[in-house]
Amino acid sequence: MAHESASASPVRFDSVTKRYPGAETVAVEELSFEVPAGEICVLVGPSGCGKTTALRMVNRTVEMTSGDITIGGRSVKDGDPARLRREIGYVIQQIGLFPHRTIAENIGTVPSLLGWDKERIRKRSAELLELIGLDPEYGDRYPAQLSGGQQQRVGVARALAVDPTVMLMDEPFGAIDPINRSRLQNEFLRLQAELKKTVLFVTHDVDEAIKMGDRVAVLKKGGKLAQFATPTELLMEPADEFVEDFVGADRALKRLALMRIRDVRLWKAPVARAGDPCEPVREAVAAAEVPHALLVDGENRPLGWLSDRDLSRERVPVIPDSSAELLDADSVLRDGLAYLLQSGSLYAPVIDPRGRLLGVLSVEIISDFLASDEASESELTAAERPHD
Amino acid sequence: MTDVLAAVDESFFTDRSGGSCIQDNKLFCPGWVADNYDRYVEPTLQHLVLVGSAVAAGFLIAFALAILAHRHRFLSTPFLAGTGVLYTIPSISFFFLLLPVTGRGALTAIIALTAFNLQIIFRNITTGLRNVPSEVTEAATGIGMTRSQILWRVELPLAMPEIIAGLRIATVSTVALATLAVFANGGGLGTEIVTGSNITFKTGIIVAGSIAVAMAILFDGVLLLIGKLLAPWKRVAA
Repeated sequence: MAHESASASPVRFDSVTKRYPGAETVAVEELSFEVPAGEICVLVGPSGCGKTTALRMVNRTVEMTSGDITIGGRSVKDGDPARLRREIGYVIQQIGLFPHRTIAENIGTVPSLLGWDKERIRKRSAELLELIGLDPEYGDRYPAQLSGGQQQRVGVARALAVDPTVMLMDEPFGAIDPINRSRLQNEFLRLQAELKKTVLFVTHDVDEAIKMGDRVAVLKKGGKLAQFATPTELLMEPADEFVEDFVGADRALKRLALMRIRDVRLWKAPVARAGDPCEPVREAVAAAEVPHALLVDGENRPLGWLSDRDLSRERVPVIPDSSAELLDADSVLRDGLAYLLQSGSLYAPVIDPRGRLLGVLSVEIISDFLASDEASESELTAAERPHD
Repeated sequence: MTDVLAAVDESFFTDRSGGSCIQDNKLFCPGWVADNYDRYVEPTLQHLVLVGSAVAAGFLIAFALAILAHRHRFLSTPFLAGTGVLYTIPSISFFFLLLPVTGRGALTAIIALTAFNLQIIFRNITTGLRNVPSEVTEAATGIGMTRSQILWRVELPLAMPEIIAGLRIATVSTVALATLAVFANGGGLGTEIVTGSNITFKTGIIVAGSIAVAMAILFDGVLLLIGKLLAPWKRVAA
């Protein structure tokens, strides 16, 4: 990134309680935990567990009844709330872009509140458009001209405009269709790897919590903290029955969401370019892990699977018999498995962000991963036994 | 009211065509119009002033009331009721109610027309403000805009189409109603419609009426254009 990168600040909840006037029960009760600088902490729980209330007390769009929240050691209660909010990125599910302002103006909202000059705002907007992968010409469009996914990217860019040290995200991808949601999640994780903000992220979806969180705070009704742990700990050692139920019976499968495709050892498939002689390819197929050959272009980008009929010719054809849907290496194993099951195939080529072949994901890789994980879990539970 | 309905000068009913059109009081006598069009200049200008002042004053007052009602929701109902009463009082009765206070003249007419306008404009501004999507104001608050920044930079610009729509209705109605200003001795095109006690001079009514209609269409068109210029985001295909 070209711009100056402000360091992230830890966010600390200290016995934070919220009681709405006239309400019989508290919305958030004695919530205490600390999010280390540069990590994503997901607040997750059933509806009515106070997760959004907890999030909104950080930027004081909801005022806490007692306790304190500090950002980098400074209480949020000191000073003017509007000024505090300008220092904290804020993304909500309904996005809330300003319909009457262009995309560039939307992104430049907080800089303009802070009195940046026009040129600096323009530059920053262009920089952020690039960061979220939108063409610069989108800057002059209005929100209504963008798709939901594009709008939410702009929502994230608006929140990042003044390079805040803390971001609050309230079900940011909740209204996006599943395919685009998974893409936006991956994109955000990629951004986060670069930006390293302290992020508080609210969701009701356990899968999203496990995928996005460095840490997960599970809340139960009445705003009580049920467990604060890393996703792995949460899946391996749920603190109580509530967490166990909430995380779900398919905990083993959920672990697939913890692993990215690029982090497992992928299989190798023989590759061939159009016009290559077929004979060596046939030999390679016979000896390879993946018993099918992939047609690739000059940049090593997969074009499709070569069938036996394709390979029965003298030379490799330009167009393969069957096309291949490609998997993004940044996707998690769960997405890969879902894809394989959906398409009914045993193998899927995996590509890097530039579309080049990295390897092939197979159902067997996934089942091996699950088996080894199951093993480690039973070891772990065995080791924990003496504590009960 | 006697001076308004005073006996009409005989010369009024002559035209150079010398035909019988006027005597027969036919629907429209072009010859008379050709001879007498200059008599409409002054009433037309007066009419413009009446409408312009009444709409401008109505807008300023309604705007202030709407902002107050937006900040303090409990004021909304009394304001709506109050402007509603003013809207329902027939303008003519209003003239007579005001006569002892402001006397006869344009001011009386403008006050009555302004009072009539308030409800239409007030209602449209408050509706416009209320229709601003809650997620937009929520996001605006969350990223650190103050209440007045939200009002001026987000809510009012977004309410603009409804505000302009209110001004259009108010303006067109006022152009029509301002023809009654003549009964308060306030001038305007009404003076050319009510020309005598028991005469209905059809050509005169048609010309004055046509000018009023043209004025209404013109104002409406101008406001429509302003609305489009102020809300470019409304023009893009969704």
